[in-house]
Amino acid sequence: MNATIDHLRRLPIELRKNEVWRRVDFGSFLVDDLQPSQRSQEGQCDCQCNVPNLETTRLILWNGFYYHSLQCLDNGIIYGSIREAQRQYPNLVAEMTAENAYSTINAEGYTDGLFLYVPDHITVDLPIQLQSAIGGEQPTLVQTRNLVKVGQGSQLSLILCDDSTNDDRSFSNNVTQVFVGAQAKVQLYKMQNLNDKSALLNQTFVAMEEGASLLSMAFTFNGGSIRNHTEIRMFGEHCHTEAHGLYLLDKEQRADNYVFVDHAKPNCTSHELFKGIMDDSSSAIFNGHVLVEDGAVKTEAYQTNRNILLTDKASIDTKPFLEIYNDDVKCSHGSTTGQLDDKALFYLRTRGLSERIARTLLMAAFCDEVTQKVEIPALRDWLGDMCNRRLHGELSPCSDCYLNCSTTGGCEKLKLDFHLDPTKL
Amino acid sequence: MALLSIRNLHASIGEKEILKGVNLEINKGEVHAIMGPNGNGKSTLAGVIAGNPTFTVTQGEVIYNGKNILDLPVDVRANEGIFLGFQYPVEIPGVSITNFMRTAVNEKRKYHGLDPMPAGEFLKLMEEKKKVVEMTTNLANRSVNQGFSGGEKKKNEIFQMAMLDPTLAILDETDSGLDIDALRIVATGVNKLRTPNNATVVITHYQRLLDYIVPDFVHILYEGRIVKTGPKELALDLEKNGYDWIKKELEEKGEL
Repeated sequence: MNATIDHLRRLPIELRKNEVWRRVDFGSFLVDDLQPSQRSQEGQCDCQCNVPNLETTRLILWNGFYYHSLQCLDNGIIYGSIREAQRQYPNLVAEMTAENAYSTINAEGYTDGLFLYVPDHITVDLPIQLQSAIGGEQPTLVQTRNLVKVGQGSQLSLILCDDSTNDDRSFSNNVTQVFVGAQAKVQLYKMQNLNDKSALLNQTFVAMEEGASLLSMAFTFNGGSIRNHTEIRMFGEHCHTEAHGLYLLDKEQRADNYVFVDHAKPNCTSHELFKGIMDDSSSAIFNGHVLVEDGAVKTEAYQTNRNILLTDKASIDTKPFLEIYNDDVKCSHGSTTGQLDDKALFYLRTRGLSERIARTLLMAAFCDEVTQKVEIPALRDWLGDMCNRRLHGELSPCSDCYLNCSTTGGCEKLKLDFHLDPTKL
Repeated sequence: MALLSIRNLHASIGEKEILKGVNLEINKGEVHAIMGPNGNGKSTLAGVIAGNPTFTVTQGEVIYNGKNILDLPVDVRANEGIFLGFQYPVEIPGVSITNFMRTAVNEKRKYHGLDPMPAGEFLKLMEEKKKVVEMTTNLANRSVNQGFSGGEKKKNEIFQMAMLDPTLAILDETDSGLDIDALRIVATGVNKLRTPNNATVVITHYQRLLDYIVPDFVHILYEGRIVKTGPKELALDLEKNGYDWIKKELEEKGEL
């Protein structure tokens, strides 16, 4: 067995007393035959996730490797392989740090990742879409590391998709670091559509300077076990953070959202809205930690976690947590777990909607509150559509691939057997 | 045959009996007003006809178009042509009115064996029916009743009624929370939807509404029963004299 797998397997015991990590155990996903991903001789997979009506700069990490050369545009934007960037721009890539046991393992063994550098005062017009596709010929261990640096006053939207292109097992231990310069504005959208045998630990570390703003969203549509571990640190005054998430789970799936927001300086705001629907024996964790430091006066921090459980076996473990060290703050946190609104259900049914349709409509509406936070209209529409298809069991990782090869038999059809059954409610 | 025939209807919430033997006959082409003091069962009656699961029917029957509907699901009753206009329309964030109405119209069509309405035709129908209640809001991106004023909510009820073209419309205090202009618009809207083939039941406290929607019959629902039925003038008597004289009359007859 691979030493990295062995190390990953031991971590739950090592970290059992660590409040942040004690619930993290990828157990059965760390199988003996997982092999570190290898660079393919044939180049990257052709599949690409296509967002209708949205032009993006599309980049691919195929089994943890980047297959194109580093681009340096006239306006100073650099993007491409982080390994290549380390050679060409060692000074720009130097700030990488290891933050915890899992990211240390990543630092030691990551294959490649995206390096994206946006100089000061540049608005990147097209969103950058990075698709991390996994489809090895054997169970694959993937470790990637992305580094995103956005200069002062610049603007960037980054769409990060995690997809499986076949039904093989995989385990991903990924790290993304984002530096948001003063007055810069960054939108970070994560979309996860992995097969049920795959697990993903997605760590995101964001450091923000004065007046920076961040929108970080995680949409978990499918996957065996996914942890979105996000740490956001506002190191300057007047920063604004929006961190939201949506997870739709069934079968034995698991989604774990950990969000740490550090209010280190005065006059910063943070808003969190995480929502989920769990069917069958699926389980979710929401662990939100807002730290308001001693001098961080005039802080505004709000955390909300709402869940719908469709069966008795589905579960949610929610822990919104505010840690506040000064008096001059406005903070709130709340969590609800429940069912659909009976009054709304009756209202819809008096207009002729069957119970199933009415419930599905209300579940879609439940998701809509999160989807509405997406600031790119075409992406918002597409994500709303993804939610609806997920609720109706019509989503497949291939369904938005521009090659459309699943219908021509070129790509293995990955129909997800998913139907959040509203009648169980 | 009567469109709706209610016989000896008893209904409760939990242990509490609200309806204590209601009898009522409604024919096509008629407008009925149901009046009565608060807490005597008017909304319960509307809810029971529509199929609100909050209420348990303990006795009696509700025959609509020759069928006892008490065992039918709420949506089947709706697709059979029963419409309930809510006293407090529910706000449903995230469900757009357009999507809601398109689903409702097509569900009804499916129920009656028809194909879904083409999108263009549907949008035309919406624009046409919005005029019934002088609605000017762009409904495309608005969630059902969310952030609507009291007047907009009630207009939206009548708009939905217009879209669904019911055979029996029960309007539960559609006049509550309306200013004078909105009241006129809503009432005029209801009148525009009247045909010889449908019937309307308006539940109200005030003669004001009945100045616009002129009823063929006025019923007084008191302590869970319809204790008096009369022509439209009965509403005027109530406006002038309140309900005390009804109570007195019942006491004299030994019915209380």
